[in-house]
Amino acid sequence: MKIRFLAQTLVAGLIALSASAQTVTVMGSTALGPIVKKAADDYMKTHPGVQIAVSGGGSMTGLNQVTSGGCNIGISDVFATPEQDKTGIKNFNIVVQPFTLIAHPGVGVKSLNAQQAEQVFTGKVTNWKEVGGKDQKIVRVIRPESSGTRAVQKKEILHGQEFSKDVLIQDSTGAVVTAVATTPGAVSFVELEHLEKNKARVAGIAYNGVECSNEGVKSGKYPIFSFGHAYTNPAKLTDPKVKQAVDGFLAFILTPAFQQDVVLKAGYLPVAYVKSLKTQL
Amino acid sequence: MNDSPESSLVAPALLLELPAADRLTPAPPEFRQSRLHRLADRWSHLVFLTCSLLVVALIGGILFFLSARGLAAFLPLAGNTGRTLSFAEVFLSTDWAPSSDHFGILPFLGGSLAVTGLALLLAAPTGILTGVFIAKLAPSWMRSLMRQVMDLLVGIPSVVYGIFGLTIILPLVSHSFLKDAPASGFAISAMILSVMIVPTIVSLATDAFEGLPLSLDEGSQALGSSRWQAIWHVLIPAARPRLLTACVLGLGRAIGEAMAVQMVIGNNPQWIALMRDFTDRAPFLRALFTPAATLTTELVQELPNTPTGSPWNNVLFAMGLLLYLLTMVLILATRRFGRSEVA
Repeated sequence: MKIRFLAQTLVAGLIALSASAQTVTVMGSTALGPIVKKAADDYMKTHPGVQIAVSGGGSMTGLNQVTSGGCNIGISDVFATPEQDKTGIKNFNIVVQPFTLIAHPGVGVKSLNAQQAEQVFTGKVTNWKEVGGKDQKIVRVIRPESSGTRAVQKKEILHGQEFSKDVLIQDSTGAVVTAVATTPGAVSFVELEHLEKNKARVAGIAYNGVECSNEGVKSGKYPIFSFGHAYTNPAKLTDPKVKQAVDGFLAFILTPAFQQDVVLKAGYLPVAYVKSLKTQL
Repeated sequence: MNDSPESSLVAPALLLELPAADRLTPAPPEFRQSRLHRLADRWSHLVFLTCSLLVVALIGGILFFLSARGLAAFLPLAGNTGRTLSFAEVFLSTDWAPSSDHFGILPFLGGSLAVTGLALLLAAPTGILTGVFIAKLAPSWMRSLMRQVMDLLVGIPSVVYGIFGLTIILPLVSHSFLKDAPASGFAISAMILSVMIVPTIVSLATDAFEGLPLSLDEGSQALGSSRWQAIWHVLIPAARPRLLTACVLGLGRAIGEAMAVQMVIGNNPQWIALMRDFTDRAPFLRALFTPAATLTTELVQELPNTPTGSPWNNVLFAMGLLLYLLTMVLILATRRFGRSEVA
C-alpha cells in the first residue's frame, strides 16, 4: 500500500514537473483553510496545469507572508493593518461569517439589545439580573487581543470601547465554547457554526431581538458578521503565468456555483448575500 | 549473535585479569587496527563532531534570533517597523493593551513567578518526602512500583493535564467552594503544575537519599535517634544540596510550561489592575482565584497572530528572551548547587 502510494506521489510529482505546472501558494487563517483547500482541489481538477498548495499558520501569518512575497495568496479573518495596506496588497472578500452571542444555558436571558450587550462586555453591567436574568455574576469569556473574532466583537458589540478588565481569555473558539458550557454565568461571542454545533451545551442569545441565522444576515435584519479575506500582492506577482493562475483561482471561489454549493454548506454565507448591505466593516 | 567471540568484546575482559603493571604496556600486535578501521574511526569522529557542533549552533542560533527580534523592540534595528519603546514602559509598567499602544509586561513576569513559586511550594515538600519514603522506608516491591508510577506521570502530555483541569477541576472547585464563580487563576494552575513537576523532584530526591552513605543512617540510629529524628536531623540536611538541585530543576520545568497553564489560568493580562480595584478584606485568597496570565501563556496565544516587525510582535520576542534568560539562570543555579555538593 505504502509503496503504491509513494509511487503514485512520485509519478504525480514527475507529471507535474514535466508539464511545468504553475504552483500557487496559499497561507493563513486556519478557519478559512478547509474551504480554500476544497476550492483548490476542485480548481485543480479542471485546470491540470495548476498546482495550489494551501497551508495554515493563522491570519496574521498569511498577511505577513503575502506582504513579503512568501506566498501568492494570504487568507485572513481580519483586514490587513494600515502598514500592510501601504505595500499595495489587494483584498478580495471571499466569504461572509455570521457571529452570535452565546451564554451558559442557566443565565435566564434570551435576548440582549445593543446597549445591554455593550454594557455586559464593558463591565457596566456585572450581574445577569440587571439585564432581566437571574441573580448570577456575569463571567465574560473572550478571545486574545490579536484574535480576529475579538476585533469584530470590539467593533460591532462594544462600538470601539475597551473590554472590562474582569475577563477570562481563551485561545481558540473551541476552548471558549467549553469554558462557556462549564462556567455558570458565562457569556461570549462566537461564529454561528460553533453555536449550531454546540446547541446542547451553550445557549444562543438574540441581538436586538433577532436570532443569528443565515436568513437573518441575508435579509439584513441581523447585523453582526465579518468577511473572510484573500489578499494578493500585485507587486510580487511578476510571473504572468502565476498571476493568471492566482486570478483564475480567486475568480473560481467567487463563482455563484462554488459560493452556493460549498460555501453555504461549510457554515459561511456567499459574499453576494451582503454585497448590497456593506462593503467595508 | 551474542555468542560470536569478537575480539573487541574479549579484549577488556582479558585486560582486567592482567596485573596492574602489565596493563600499561602497549596492546599486542593482533589488536592493531586495520587501515579500514582507522578510516571508519576518522569518519565517525567527524560525524560525531558535526552533530555536536550542530547542537551548539542551534542553541546559539536560537539565542541570536530571540535577541535580535527581542531587542528590536527597544532599538531602531532592521526588524523594527514601528515605534521604539523604552525599557521603563515595558519592564516597569503593569498596563498591557497593545492595541492602545501600552506594552507593560509586569503582569506576565509577576504571573510566571507567582504560579511557579506556588507550584514549587506544593511540589517540593510532597516530592522530597516521597523521595525519603521510596529510598528509606518503602518495602522493595513498593519501591519499584512507585518508581514506575513516577515514570508514567512524566510521560503524560501537558495538554492532557490542561483538559483535565479545564473540564473537571475548574467546574468542580467553582461549584463546591466558590459559589459558582469561575475558579481560573493561580490556585488551580499551580496545583496542576505541581502535579507535573512532582515526578522530577521525586526521582532526583530518591537518588539523593539513596546516594547518601549508609553510615549516616546507621550511625544516627546507633546513637539512639528514632527513624523520624534520623531522617529530619541527619538525612535531609546531608542531602540538601542535591534536594535544592531537584527543586530548581522542577522550577525550570514549571516556568517553561505553557499548554496546561494556558487552559486553566484564565489568561487575563489586566489581572494586576483588576486586583487593585478589589476592595474586599481577603486580597490574598481573592488573588488565588483571579484570572491571570504568564509569559508562556501570552506567548502561545499572541505570537502567531501579531504582524512581524510591529512593537507588539517585538515585545513578545523580548518576553521570550526574558524567559530564556530566566531558565538559563535556573540551570546555572543547579550547576552551582551541584558543585557545592562536591566541595
